[in-house]
Amino acid sequence: MTRSQPLLTLSRRYLTTAAPRTTTTTPIRTTTSLLTTKPTTTSLRTIQHQPCLRTTTPSIRPYHSIHHPSPPHEYSNSQTTILSSALRHVPTHGFTRDALTLGARDAGFLDVSVQLLPRGEFDLILFWLASRRGLLRSKVENDALLQSQSQQGPLSVDDKIKILIMERLRMNVEVKDKLQDALAIMSLGENIPLSLSELHALSDDILTLAGDASVDASWYSKRMAVAAVYASSEFVMTRDTSAGLRDTEEFLTRRWADARAVKDKVSGVKQCLGFLGSTAVGLGRSWGLKL
Amino acid sequence: MSSRTVWRSLQLQARRRFIVPETPYRCFSCTRRAQDPPKFNQDDRMTHFGFQNVPEAQKESLVGAVFSSVASSYDVMNDMMSLGIHRLWKDHFVRSLNPGSALPSREHDTAGRGWNILDIAGGTGDIAFRMLDHATNINNDHETRVTIADINADMLAEGQKRSVQTPYYNTNRLSFMQGNAQSMPSIPDNSVDLYTVVFGIRNFTDKQAALNEAFRVLKPGGVFACMEFSKVDNALFNAIYKQWSFSAIPMIGQLVAGDRDSYQYLVESIEQFPSQEEFRGMIQKAGFMIPGRGFENLTGGIAAIHKGIKPLNRA
Repeated sequence: MTRSQPLLTLSRRYLTTAAPRTTTTTPIRTTTSLLTTKPTTTSLRTIQHQPCLRTTTPSIRPYHSIHHPSPPHEYSNSQTTILSSALRHVPTHGFTRDALTLGARDAGFLDVSVQLLPRGEFDLILFWLASRRGLLRSKVENDALLQSQSQQGPLSVDDKIKILIMERLRMNVEVKDKLQDALAIMSLGENIPLSLSELHALSDDILTLAGDASVDASWYSKRMAVAAVYASSEFVMTRDTSAGLRDTEEFLTRRWADARAVKDKVSGVKQCLGFLGSTAVGLGRSWGLKL
Repeated sequence: MSSRTVWRSLQLQARRRFIVPETPYRCFSCTRRAQDPPKFNQDDRMTHFGFQNVPEAQKESLVGAVFSSVASSYDVMNDMMSLGIHRLWKDHFVRSLNPGSALPSREHDTAGRGWNILDIAGGTGDIAFRMLDHATNINNDHETRVTIADINADMLAEGQKRSVQTPYYNTNRLSFMQGNAQSMPSIPDNSVDLYTVVFGIRNFTDKQAALNEAFRVLKPGGVFACMEFSKVDNALFNAIYKQWSFSAIPMIGQLVAGDRDSYQYLVESIEQFPSQEEFRGMIQKAGFMIPGRGFENLTGGIAAIHKGIKPLNRA
């Protein structure tokens, strides 16, 4: 279980929440401890990622921009402590209240302290998703995930997207048996909006990290395509028993090829329609119509 | 036609405050006192008693009088006033707290050997019995124990009478204690897992002192949970609700319990209670951490559940 190592040591600066979560207020002593832990680094980027003092409600910004820092995550110190120690119990207890209770006990809290997480097990799932997403980002930025495999020239955006999706799916391996329960909880009516926004945040992160820079309507279609491919691959993964998720990888390759094929078809049809249209206009004009 | 005349006479009765036949239990002198506030010294610190202002020293006895006079008809009245919804609120409150340790404790655990619950202002045991039932039946925890504390001996007596019907009667899982929530020297520091106060904190003379005392008795990581009437957020619903509470409830009180003034006090004290946001600020001021939004509205904000968690010392 070498992979479980980063699970426990995720740097907090990579933890962002997609959910429009109301500000969690902590007493003054917690806020001052945040202040004192702020490092004296000079890198502007690092400062931007620091969880800033939560005196104002952060605006929710559903896209990446180099001009604006990512919104900080909104878990208080105590919540993060309980949630991250609860993650250790997920492989055995699943995404349940039991895992949360054990996590709270490990962190020195009482059984009753899981009240800190008003959504219960769904909070644990959201934290899992958000922290895996942060881990993916830190792997790209620190461990050069996308550079290591590029012996034969730079990788295309599509290849990068595939690598990132596979990397994200591999993070699920240790909780594979429990993931179906999590998906069931995520699909409950009241949880769907937050689940979807988390999925959007993931596909947005993947595309940004892969270097996609589209600014037209394909911005939406690409995110939808990545989200759909990721979600379906995740379902396949929960039932995948092959070594090293080989079946899932093949499935992913096929789906991505399908998505590309659809994209090509659509652009072909668009081109064809445009050509037919301009031909019709030209024909009309040649007949003397005022077009 | 005849029903209309009956209705009109009821309304007249309500308006003229005719004396209706009293229940034998009712304590006359108490409500009389609530009706005519005695002369007091202008130097005393003042506090609310319904819409009146009374010296702080007086409020305790006035509230005591109200609850002594409603103790016996408490449940019937609650059902009539809230149309039975208060039971749903209480069930939801207990279920969301999920009392009792579902998991066996491990060797190095300090937690997990049953919860120590303190139910303040829980005289009739409504919440306490529900919590014990939940711990026993849902979480299979036979260790969790509840201490019911109330300032009013009449309400406690009512709870003791009811506890005979429960399996917890005469066990160490249920105990009663008469005491003032603003200062409970008999309860040591850092000894309570869960502190609940349901429809009670509104009657306290100094709410902030009670919150500070809750902070003192709770273990680090312990939870303060409070259900209280609050402010309705929808204007239309609020108009209907106000009509109901200021016209219907005192009248129901007069007809069913034979005591209009106590129920007049009840609706006035609900009106005086701070809004969800203000009360959350008070909980925070006592030193608690607030999970998420900090409160949960029930039935459009008629009641709200507030929670606060005492931080660990090192956090």
